[in-house]
Amino acid sequence: MASNLPLTFNHLFIRRKKYDTPVFQSRHPALNEYIAGAVKAITDELALGTVDKVVVVIKSADEKPLERFIFALRNTLQVEPYNKDTSVEGAISAASLGQYFRSFLVKLNMIEAQLGQLYSDDLSFAIVLELQDDKAPTSTQGKDPPPWIPASTPHTTAGAAETAELHMVRAVDTGIINLSLAVQESEYKLNQEREIESKGKQKAV
Amino acid sequence: MSQLTQNSSRSSDYFDDDPEFLRAITEIPLPAPVFEDDLQPPPLTQRPRVDVQEPATLTQRHLKRSRSLDNFDVDEGAQYHGVLTSVDAKGDGESETYLDSHTYGASRFGEFGEYMARKRAKLQLQNAEMGVDGDESAAESKIFRGLQIYVRPFSGFPLFIRTHTAQINGWTEPSVQDLRQMIVQHGGIFHAYLDKKSLVTHIITCSLTPAKIREFKHMKVVRPDWLVDSIQAGALLPWQDYIFRPGERVEDAQGRRVAQKSLYDGFVPVPTRLPTQTGPSRVSSTSSTTTPPRTPKKQTVLSPLKSAPTTPMRPLYLTDPATLEEAARIPGYAAFESNPNAERAMQDPAWRAAHTSVAPDFIEGYYKNSRLHHLSTWKAELKDLVAEAQEKAENGGTEAWSRLSTDLGSPSASQRAVDLVVQENLSGRGLGSGGLEGDVSMRGARLMKLKQGKGKEKAADDERVIMHCDFDSFFVSAGLIDRPHLRGKPVVVCHSQGSTGGGSSTSEIASASYEARAFGIKGGMSLQQARKLCPTVVTIPYEFQRYKQFSLQFYTILMAHADDLQAVSVDEALIDVTSSVARIRAELVERADDAQEAVDPAKDFAEAIRAQVRKVTGCEVSIGIANNIMLARLASRRAKPAGSFHLRPEEVPELMATLDIDDLHGFGYSARQKALEKLGATNLGELAKKSKAALCEALGKGTGETLYKAIRGIDDRPLESDKPRKSVSCDINYGIRFENNEQAQTFVYQMAEEVSRRLSSIAMRGRSLTLKVLVRDPSAPVEAPKFLGHGLCEAHNKQTPLIAPGGRATSDEKVIGEHAWRLMKSFNFNPRDLRGIGIQIQKLEKASTVQETELGQAILPFKPLDASSRGMQETTSKGSTATEVGDTKKGDRERAPAIAVQPPSQDDDDDDEVQVVEQRPPTDRVRTEHDLPSFSQLDMSVFEALPDDVRKELEAEYQRRSTTPGSVAGPAPKAQSPSPAPEPEKKSNLVVKGTNVKRITRQLAPRSRPLISPTTKLFAKRVYTSSVKVTNNELRKYGIDPDVFAALPPEMQREQLAAHRAPGVTLYTTERKILKPTTRHGKRSSKSPAIVFRPPPAPKAVYIEPPTLKQQGKERGEKLYFSETDDVQRVIESWVAGFKEHPPNQRDVDYFAKFLVQCVDGGRSSDTGVERAVAVAKWWLVLLRRHFGAWENAATSDECEEQRRGHTAESVGRAWWKAFREVKARMDEAARRKFGGCLSLR
Repeated sequence: MASNLPLTFNHLFIRRKKYDTPVFQSRHPALNEYIAGAVKAITDELALGTVDKVVVVIKSADEKPLERFIFALRNTLQVEPYNKDTSVEGAISAASLGQYFRSFLVKLNMIEAQLGQLYSDDLSFAIVLELQDDKAPTSTQGKDPPPWIPASTPHTTAGAAETAELHMVRAVDTGIINLSLAVQESEYKLNQEREIESKGKQKAV
Repeated sequence: MSQLTQNSSRSSDYFDDDPEFLRAITEIPLPAPVFEDDLQPPPLTQRPRVDVQEPATLTQRHLKRSRSLDNFDVDEGAQYHGVLTSVDAKGDGESETYLDSHTYGASRFGEFGEYMARKRAKLQLQNAEMGVDGDESAAESKIFRGLQIYVRPFSGFPLFIRTHTAQINGWTEPSVQDLRQMIVQHGGIFHAYLDKKSLVTHIITCSLTPAKIREFKHMKVVRPDWLVDSIQAGALLPWQDYIFRPGERVEDAQGRRVAQKSLYDGFVPVPTRLPTQTGPSRVSSTSSTTTPPRTPKKQTVLSPLKSAPTTPMRPLYLTDPATLEEAARIPGYAAFESNPNAERAMQDPAWRAAHTSVAPDFIEGYYKNSRLHHLSTWKAELKDLVAEAQEKAENGGTEAWSRLSTDLGSPSASQRAVDLVVQENLSGRGLGSGGLEGDVSMRGARLMKLKQGKGKEKAADDERVIMHCDFDSFFVSAGLIDRPHLRGKPVVVCHSQGSTGGGSSTSEIASASYEARAFGIKGGMSLQQARKLCPTVVTIPYEFQRYKQFSLQFYTILMAHADDLQAVSVDEALIDVTSSVARIRAELVERADDAQEAVDPAKDFAEAIRAQVRKVTGCEVSIGIANNIMLARLASRRAKPAGSFHLRPEEVPELMATLDIDDLHGFGYSARQKALEKLGATNLGELAKKSKAALCEALGKGTGETLYKAIRGIDDRPLESDKPRKSVSCDINYGIRFENNEQAQTFVYQMAEEVSRRLSSIAMRGRSLTLKVLVRDPSAPVEAPKFLGHGLCEAHNKQTPLIAPGGRATSDEKVIGEHAWRLMKSFNFNPRDLRGIGIQIQKLEKASTVQETELGQAILPFKPLDASSRGMQETTSKGSTATEVGDTKKGDRERAPAIAVQPPSQDDDDDDEVQVVEQRPPTDRVRTEHDLPSFSQLDMSVFEALPDDVRKELEAEYQRRSTTPGSVAGPAPKAQSPSPAPEPEKKSNLVVKGTNVKRITRQLAPRSRPLISPTTKLFAKRVYTSSVKVTNNELRKYGIDPDVFAALPPEMQREQLAAHRAPGVTLYTTERKILKPTTRHGKRSSKSPAIVFRPPPAPKAVYIEPPTLKQQGKERGEKLYFSETDDVQRVIESWVAGFKEHPPNQRDVDYFAKFLVQCVDGGRSSDTGVERAVAVAKWWLVLLRRHFGAWENAATSDECEEQRRGHTAESVGRAWWKAFREVKARMDEAARRKFGGCLSLR
């Protein structure tokens, strides 16, 4: 009987604990596979050290970006590919890095309060990879076509309107890779919000 | 405590307000300092039995007094008397001084110690009074004089001692008070508290809890009958008859408390001499361990071939036992359980600072005087020594000595044969000198014939002739060279000289002459023990230089004769003389003296060697001969002193039957105990009947098997002439007395320095560190019996990988110190309880900048090229062993490849040798195939197809290898260089001879072989070569000036080269420009490296320096930098607060704007800067809303209007908001470049 019903959020996700913070974890095999594939594709590019940002774009049904969750990266230290597991002097220890990630997750949970309401129902998302200037995604696996396709400009940083608002969630400098997470509300979303607000006010009046 | 409160009239809880008592107290004439005059010698009948631990008679005390010059025991014992005296002296004064006096003054708060001390003193006063008040007759009896007795009441019944044992004499349960009275009246000292165990000589009790039994394990716990009976008898009875035994077990087997008694139990008491003077001493008699001079007891241990009597406990001779078990086995080597000299000395902080481990030069001094250290470093130095000896042997330095041997009369044919061979050996011609060439080859043929006569299997073992050469009491005999007048007298070598230290000296005896040994003196005893055994023993000092010289001569002689040599110590060596003996035998056969058939060429040869050593050094050497190491060692014990003994295989079973298990080398006390417990026998004759399985069961697999074989005279160990050094360590367990952690830390670091020095001296580095710590056993006294020794200890070990930055092996003192101290801290011991510290470095590697990537076992430790011919010979011999091993017919010899040199009798002929030389290159090939092929031989297509990172690493590796040959002494270049042409006239035998000596020379060289398994080599982390090879042309092509390049450090050179050669790799040289922040002297400037290398060993984390808000400090020239969010917020707050009435100054606005924009700018700072800027801007916003909230949303009106109105609140507010929006806009602009849009301040 349950199978006839549409999948709900609670079907797809369960609450788990990661870095001592409650998070949602996908438990649908297909979704898991997708996530794993996406993460793998990102990992391959990350290994090349050319990634500038990884963006999860929440978009409306008509492909308008609403919110962009931006993971910004910067390698401050280059390590030879064969020497990846070397130890780095003066870097943040793995243990304290865990604490930083915890703060990432906690603040991510909290940021919802700052973000405006999403009014559209039929939401979708995209994962956008932004590389450093004049770099192209090069990671390919054998003869398969690369997993990445050019992004639509409005979803990218370059396509973000001037009025889009950025909330810095958290940033950490590890001494090797600097990582930050920010959420950007798009102009479209902000406008939508304002419209609805003003309508509400008018009604109230 | 409570038993005293009820103590009839004079209870201990009196107060100072009892005038009568006070008066009484002041008037007491104290008998406390006991004078010797009033002592009478006790009647002879009461002289107790001889006993070490309990010297009851005064006569004995006299003996002790006369010998020992130091009366520290008096100080100890008389402490209470001293207290009494002081009280007595003060008691003469007025009552107020009386109150101020030591004992009766008021205790201050928190001075519990003082309180107790006073209480004790008061009790002693009471006791003294009791002694006076007591009946006169009893007072005269001083039988308990010198005893300090603690009466322990049964815990449940504090007042009464419950005697469970039947009382024959009719006395009933003497109460504590009665006992106290008895003790005091008879001259003893009664202790109410057992807080100072070292003071108390006896404990009287009837019942003890198990915990107390354990606590008093090492004290004299006696039943009250002892006192009672002693008083009745009128003399002190031996306390051993009254030992308290808990529960009085029926079966003695369950562990009767025999303690010290057992050791001398079997000895017949010898009547003591009457004291020459009657003055008794105040010495607490218990502390004396004097025994009358006994007839020297021959310890069974001494005779090497004793029939095994099973004494329950064997005395062990050590001066500083670390375990209880050891301690129990040592017959009183020190006078005190705790060394009073040390205790006293430690009171003096200055002395402490100068003589214990706290002293800055302690380690240096320690090693200067440590005999063990000298011996152990010699072992390392033996390498040089042996090398020197070899050189002498080669240069015919022994030729002079060879003349000596001609002096020997040569009456028999065998003697003549021996002389001949000895001559040959000494003159360095050995088997194959040019003049004897033809002869030699002939001889070789003869030997071959001889050998063939026997079974091939057996031949290898039977013909082996191993000699164990050992100086007879080396130190002593070396010392006697200069002191002929001492010959024939009991002489020992130890630190303590003359009469100083005397009877109670704990100085350890290093070596004892045979005359001294006849008294039972052994090495390892304390001088005190020795003096007890033989009062006339003479001490002579160490003469390290002389020992070294003799050792060198000794080794030079052995070297000349030996095929192979294992140096055991300075005065002891194992040599393989198979070939020499075989030659003597051949000589005999040649002379065909049938009549001489019975002679033993090996023994004659040994005598010849002995004669030589004697002539050269003047010392006697004993030589044991047998066909393997173990038997040779046994034989040498029989050979001693000054003789030689050939143990033939057929005699082995007979000999073994007479031996005990610990007579075998490598089997000691613990093996003996195990054998006794589990097999019921320690005699080898008995053990021979046991099956191998039974032995293994009892002793463990390895030991059991070794024993099984040893009993049957089998020992297949090869001579270990080439033992690689496995560890380097520094142990100090003498004089370790710390007061706090800082001292301990300093010391550990000092030790690390020492270890580091030792590592560097052998050019090694380590990867693992073990810290050994001795901690005072809780039950042990603070001061060990041995002066500044470690005493009874608990041993703790901890190991940690020793990692230098980049995961390299290290010999750096700081790194070692840090690791060691971290381990030490993790133990969390009280620094006062530390008694010994040892730092050991394992997993050694060569310290050259190049990490030698030796692969597998096939690598030869090549010598530098200086002696190319020698190197040649060496490889040849190695090659020959290799071929032999490969030969399946000789497969059975595979197990002994360590003896590289085969005796000529087994050697192959010349053709073989030539063949071997030709086979050398293939051997090299095999080696290199495990390694990387040379770059030119690479299949480039394969190489290209490799994954990027692997290829890059290979390139780097080839780069590394193409270093200039001169800089690296590694094996690789040499292996590839063409082999030097073999000398045409070289004969196999010559090679053997040369190699032989060479190998021996090498034997003690610490050979480093990295302990990483070869399989992990390829991708293991590497340390790169120190120099980079590149042609000048190539450099010019890259636009690098070769001269400049040459001056760069190697890392830089590599970096530069990598930059130009591998353009695919992202380089720091390019990226650095972006990252490099403006140099600033901010807080974290030290963290940002000026030049970012791409260093293979230890990449450093790179932090982008955060922008700072610069401000003028209060003082001139002082600059404040604010980078933390809170600080900047505070600055902003004060700014806003300061300009509430005025519009903000544009310069201030720009100042903040600059900071905020820099923070937000992705090119300038990291995203943490964005976080910070947003937080600051938000705070600014909050402040503005607080002060100028009304005008936040007011449209910016035209400026003229503003100016007209002047500084109204509105205009100020507007100006602020304008400034804010301006700054915000600039921030947005900066942020937009990275993230797009603008910053949200919601």
